[in-house]
Amino acid sequence: MKRVIVCYKWVLDGADIRVDKITRKLDVEKAKWILNEFDRNAIEAGVRIKASTGCELIGITAGVDTEESSKNVLSRGLDAVHFLNDPIMQGADSRTTSKVLAGMIDKLGGADLVICSEASDDEYAQQTSARLAALLGYASVTYVQSIELSGDQIKLSRKLDDGAEDVEVAEATVISVVPDINDPPIPSLKQILGAKKKPSTAIALAELDVTEDRSSQLRTESVLAPEVARKKIQLTAGGVSIVDAVIKLKQQLTSDGVL
Amino acid sequence: MSTQWIIAETASLAAELLRGARELQRGTVVAFVGGDNTSAASVVAHGADSAFALPLQPGAMWEDYTYALAEKAAIDLPSLIWVGATKRGRSLAALLAAILDCPCISEGKNIRVVEGRVTADRMVMGGLANKVVSTNAPTVIITVSAGAYESYSTGPARSGSVEMLAGTAGKVKVTGRHLTAGSRVNLSAAKRVVGVGRGFAEKANLALAEELAKALGAELACSRPIAEFLNWMPEERYIGISGQIIKPDLYIAVGISGQPQHVYGVRDAKVVVSINKDENAPMNETSDYSIVGDLREVLPALSRAVSKAVCV
Repeated sequence: MKRVIVCYKWVLDGADIRVDKITRKLDVEKAKWILNEFDRNAIEAGVRIKASTGCELIGITAGVDTEESSKNVLSRGLDAVHFLNDPIMQGADSRTTSKVLAGMIDKLGGADLVICSEASDDEYAQQTSARLAALLGYASVTYVQSIELSGDQIKLSRKLDDGAEDVEVAEATVISVVPDINDPPIPSLKQILGAKKKPSTAIALAELDVTEDRSSQLRTESVLAPEVARKKIQLTAGGVSIVDAVIKLKQQLTSDGVL
Repeated sequence: MSTQWIIAETASLAAELLRGARELQRGTVVAFVGGDNTSAASVVAHGADSAFALPLQPGAMWEDYTYALAEKAAIDLPSLIWVGATKRGRSLAALLAAILDCPCISEGKNIRVVEGRVTADRMVMGGLANKVVSTNAPTVIITVSAGAYESYSTGPARSGSVEMLAGTAGKVKVTGRHLTAGSRVNLSAAKRVVGVGRGFAEKANLALAEELAKALGAELACSRPIAEFLNWMPEERYIGISGQIIKPDLYIAVGISGQPQHVYGVRDAKVVVSINKDENAPMNETSDYSIVGDLREVLPALSRAVSKAVCV
């Protein structure tokens, strides 16, 4: 294992996003950019492989405003970061994202292992890892819960709906890891200070293969908070006792016809 | 004549996708289904025009069928490919989308054609928002979760061709499979569901929720932390975006704070009740009825009250 590339996404913090109660539109004005939470596990998986093999560990990301992500991810143990900012990534679909990331990996000369997380907090499309594998011609193993290296072989356990699947692969592979794979530590002060000295390099879209069509094929028609048509009746309001509230609830559920 | 495909790990999920495909009325429907010929034949009986069996092969991942499917897709040119959103299904869908260089809508709902464009709703931002996406690509892949459509059936038994799809060996070798022990619950079929969350300070108190579920004739479910971090309940019982999405008549959330990703999983329940000691729990805001109080007090009282009322 000579080189591992971790793909990460720089996303808006959902906790800062407000919903306009009348228009149901999202207000992202006050939202800060943060590291996609699932990607902490992907980076930590790379850090552990580096610790056991001494491999090179590179992070890559593509977005519209990703430069400031470098310090964050470098403090988590990556050796170097390559980031790409381009308007094509604004509201990009998974096809665009995976083509841009694959182009970046090609430009960097490929990798023995590419690690993605299960999904992004914002889009939750769960496509990037498998799409990347197909585009790069690498093997694809998704939903990985454990990684074991033995010589040139990678032994992986996948967490699937009906149980676990153990697999082996002996060539360049793209994996996606599930959150239970590890428990990423919070970076130490030393790591945070050390991150400033590590290299962070911009890659322009024009540096990638320009003949490729990378435009998004999915068009966003609207993004609105769902309408909540619930009654919101608090049965214990105004000091009603629990016993009385329970009786009232039983009556309500009976008249709603759900008991 | 245009063609739609449905691809699913199980025949029951395929029968649900079949409804989505039939409602769009876009030509013949060819099904690709996990399991053997019997499984594939049952999807034809449900209303597919023909079906292929994609059994799990020893040594190979189910997703290895992607390459055989991509070759077939180049000939059939399906306009829509519906894929059951199990973990293997999602992976297969993304691989196939990259090979066919087409868009893939992950976990689409309410799939329709608007002004010639395939359009779907999907949840984004952890359930905070609903995004409507559309495309006019000649081939579109859409993954659909279990429970998004009701199982389809034409009524009288039908017949159509059923054959095995020959897979090709991939780059990854499967060396073992460990099926999760125990029967798989079918939460999506339950009429009533009781969900437990982090408000349960100790595992022993789950017995109170079990009693309520028994009195209601309900299935027991939970929020993600209960299954994934505390391991108090099997993962197949957690409700949320990444878990089960259900639409029972009645959902009672006990000690569940109401994170958008959980609420998303019960959005289509007919009636939602929240029992929480925190008056300001977001769950109360997305419920029809809420009772603010200690679950150790509320649950036994509710169990007693409903045990006489429920017609199971």
